Amino acid sequence: MKRHILCLTTRLTQNSLIKTLPLSRFLSSKEAIDRRYHLFMLEKKRQYDKVGRIEKIEVQYKGLPNECTLIMNKDISTPYDCARHLSQFHMETSALALIDNTIYWDMHRPLTENCTLELQSFTCADPHQVNRAFWRTCSFMLGACATVAFKDSVPVKLHSFPGPDIRSGSFIYDVDLPSLGNWQPTHQELVTLGAEYVKLARLNEPLERLEVGEDLALEMFVDNEHKTKQIPSIAKANGKVTLYKVGKHVDISKGPMISTTGQIGRVAVTAVHKLNGSEDNDANQLYRFQGVALPTGVTINHFAFSILTDRARKLNTARSPVQRAADCEESESIAMKA
Amino acid sequence: MNQAEVSKLVSKLRIKVPPKHRKLPNPKGPEGRLDKLRKTVTGLIKYERIELNYNRADEARQYAERLISEAIRHGDCHKPTMDTANFWLLEKELVHKLFKVLVPRFENSSVAYTKLYNAPKPQYARVLDKAVLELKGNPYPELGNKQTNNKYFIQNILLDAAKHEYRQAKYAEVANKIGQAGNETSPVNTENAEKLNEKPMSS
Amino acid sequence: MALAIRRSTSDIFCAAKWFIRRDCRVLSTLPEKAEVEVATVTKKEKHIRTRGSRNSALENRFVYPEFLPDPNPNWRNSLREKLERADMLKRRNQIDIPEFYVGSILAVTVADQHSQGKTNKFVGICIERKGCGLRAEFTLRNVVDHQGIEVRYDLYDPTIQIIQVLRLEKRLDEKLFYLRDALPEYSTFPFDMDPEILPEGTPVPLNPVQVKLKPRPWLERWERQDLKGVSNIEEHLKEKDRVRRELRATPWEKYDLMKQYRQTIPIEDQNDIWAEVNSQLQQLHMTRKKMSRKRTFSTPKTQLG
Repeated sequence: MKRHILCLTTRLTQNSLIKTLPLSRFLSSKEAIDRRYHLFMLEKKRQYDKVGRIEKIEVQYKGLPNECTLIMNKDISTPYDCARHLSQFHMETSALALIDNTIYWDMHRPLTENCTLELQSFTCADPHQVNRAFWRTCSFMLGACATVAFKDSVPVKLHSFPGPDIRSGSFIYDVDLPSLGNWQPTHQELVTLGAEYVKLARLNEPLERLEVGEDLALEMFVDNEHKTKQIPSIAKANGKVTLYKVGKHVDISKGPMISTTGQIGRVAVTAVHKLNGSEDNDANQLYRFQGVALPTGVTINHFAFSILTDRARKLNTARSPVQRAADCEESESIAMKA
Repeated sequence: MNQAEVSKLVSKLRIKVPPKHRKLPNPKGPEGRLDKLRKTVTGLIKYERIELNYNRADEARQYAERLISEAIRHGDCHKPTMDTANFWLLEKELVHKLFKVLVPRFENSSVAYTKLYNAPKPQYARVLDKAVLELKGNPYPELGNKQTNNKYFIQNILLDAAKHEYRQAKYAEVANKIGQAGNETSPVNTENAEKLNEKPMSS
Repeated sequence: MALAIRRSTSDIFCAAKWFIRRDCRVLSTLPEKAEVEVATVTKKEKHIRTRGSRNSALENRFVYPEFLPDPNPNWRNSLREKLERADMLKRRNQIDIPEFYVGSILAVTVADQHSQGKTNKFVGICIERKGCGLRAEFTLRNVVDHQGIEVRYDLYDPTIQIIQVLRLEKRLDEKLFYLRDALPEYSTFPFDMDPEILPEGTPVPLNPVQVKLKPRPWLERWERQDLKGVSNIEEHLKEKDRVRRELRATPWEKYDLMKQYRQTIPIEDQNDIWAEVNSQLQQLHMTRKKMSRKRTFSTPKTQLG
């Protein structure tokens, strides 16, 4: 297996050296996903190896059942590992970690220094940030769902998703489907999309975070012209791009996100709306995928849920990335926010 | 047709009491039944949260409630109550716990002293219903998701936003109607209609 | 109205004891020891009364137990209970239903179209009170012509004309069914008995008399019922009965808190009921008192006349 990956990477690096950009543009979407996934894993392994000698840090845990101090590995242990020391309950329910009472930290992001740790679930007293992370994750997963759901003959190019706005009633992902000029999804197709979403969510994959350099990010998203356009502006600040991976799907997002996809409970993909852009923009039309979801363990009356789905069917008025010619930059800024 | 017993006075239980007791079948008959329940009540007072079969839990809950209410009503200087506590609590240090810990805890409570949850069970298995019985005010974390009316929960935010949007739509509709009516009656006075249009939107 | 007649064991036996009986009865009702006990008991009673005086409405439950509904929740119906209470108060406005207990001696006059003068008077000791609401009933027992007679009356029966308490007292037990197997003198009361009027404010006296049972066979297994009002129960028992009594004993029953609970009406429910009827009951009580005072003045005159 290792050898296989190594072989593949050498081929990939060769490819990148030769700068066969036009070739990689015609990668089928499945190949592109695999390629991105392997690059992600390699980079992750590289960063892991870079840690070198293992140092210990003290993590002061606050909360139930009692406060305690955990001795963890620097740059390796994650809040999820801390939760594993506590109980299965903590592993399953905590969605986000709060470091030093200020920073919201992903559950699968290694801790870097001594800190205090609080685990936040969807039912904690003030779940504002957890909700935002949940909504962001739902958008992210909608992208993953959209890439998987279509047939191979339909190329899917993810564009971006705006920052989470729960009060808008739906999470969204803007997708470019160049081969589908005028697509109106039937009810059956929406149901299929929803089923695909649920299938992905039930895999209960952890959401892994990785910060990579601009070059590598461009390399990974070489097949997607929208992302390659967004990456330089995202990396403007510190030269890093934050990536998230769930299963084999890798996407750009600012984070933080919830712990696993298993925490997404009841979900419905409610609508796909067409967004028409201006002529000069290369992507002159996008499809806005919309959905609504609730965390696992939230039971809600079917009538109440039908109200939510009905509302999520209306076009979400979040700013469209292709609305105006001058929006080109804005779309990147949206992607940055996400 | 019976006459109510008048020689004893009891406080009303805050739980639902079924009209008949459960027999909890036992070779020793009613005595064995009470023995079973004594063990459960002792366990409940000792551990404050126990998991057991639903039938026994529901039955033991009533006895535990009665015991605590008697202890609250009569205090620890009342001989028959002390006698009852001695019978029901197999471990004698728990008698102290009943009068010194639980009575102060529940003295001013206006709700039941215990809580009974249905415990989960495998979906397609033929097993007895399980339940979790606990004393209120125990030191363990909450079992149920009690604060469902926290307005910051995601479902509440979503529903609240939906409600808000619906109301806005209704206000706009009503304002439109009024505006149209105004237009029909006095086409000159359009400013008022516009004002009306704006008002509910801002509120 | 049901008439329960029980034949006494043997007429010969009764005839033989005919003369002795009166003496026995006099001795049994007024023993010297009993006097002392009465005094102590009354003290206790007073203690209870003073403690209970905090909530005098709740004390009604001893005097008017039939106002409490049936404790069996299957037979509860709040509307029916309310209507019944209203009807009971109306009936109590019509005739004086006095305070009496199991063990009190009562004289009841009922309308009887077949008897001379259209009324029928029966005197006896109350051996049982049961039922609630309009169906409340009590049973009187007497021995007439060596024949034990029990009459069950409905308390709110419209044919009842007078209920008079001849002697207000309590006994040691809740039910006095053992009088059926006791010597007849314990349940023999003359029909021309004079009412004993207690001074006002005295607590209801407790008669600690312990009856003597006749030899077996008995109607019930009295030895298993933990009776306090029977003196000679051990004399008639065989070893076998004692063993079986031990086997059948249920000492855990007094700790069965839910069994007790299911037999009683909780305080909170009682408070509601008494709040509803207490004022009317008190008013009735006061008017009856005034009436009876007047009558005490009037009755000697008629007697003199």
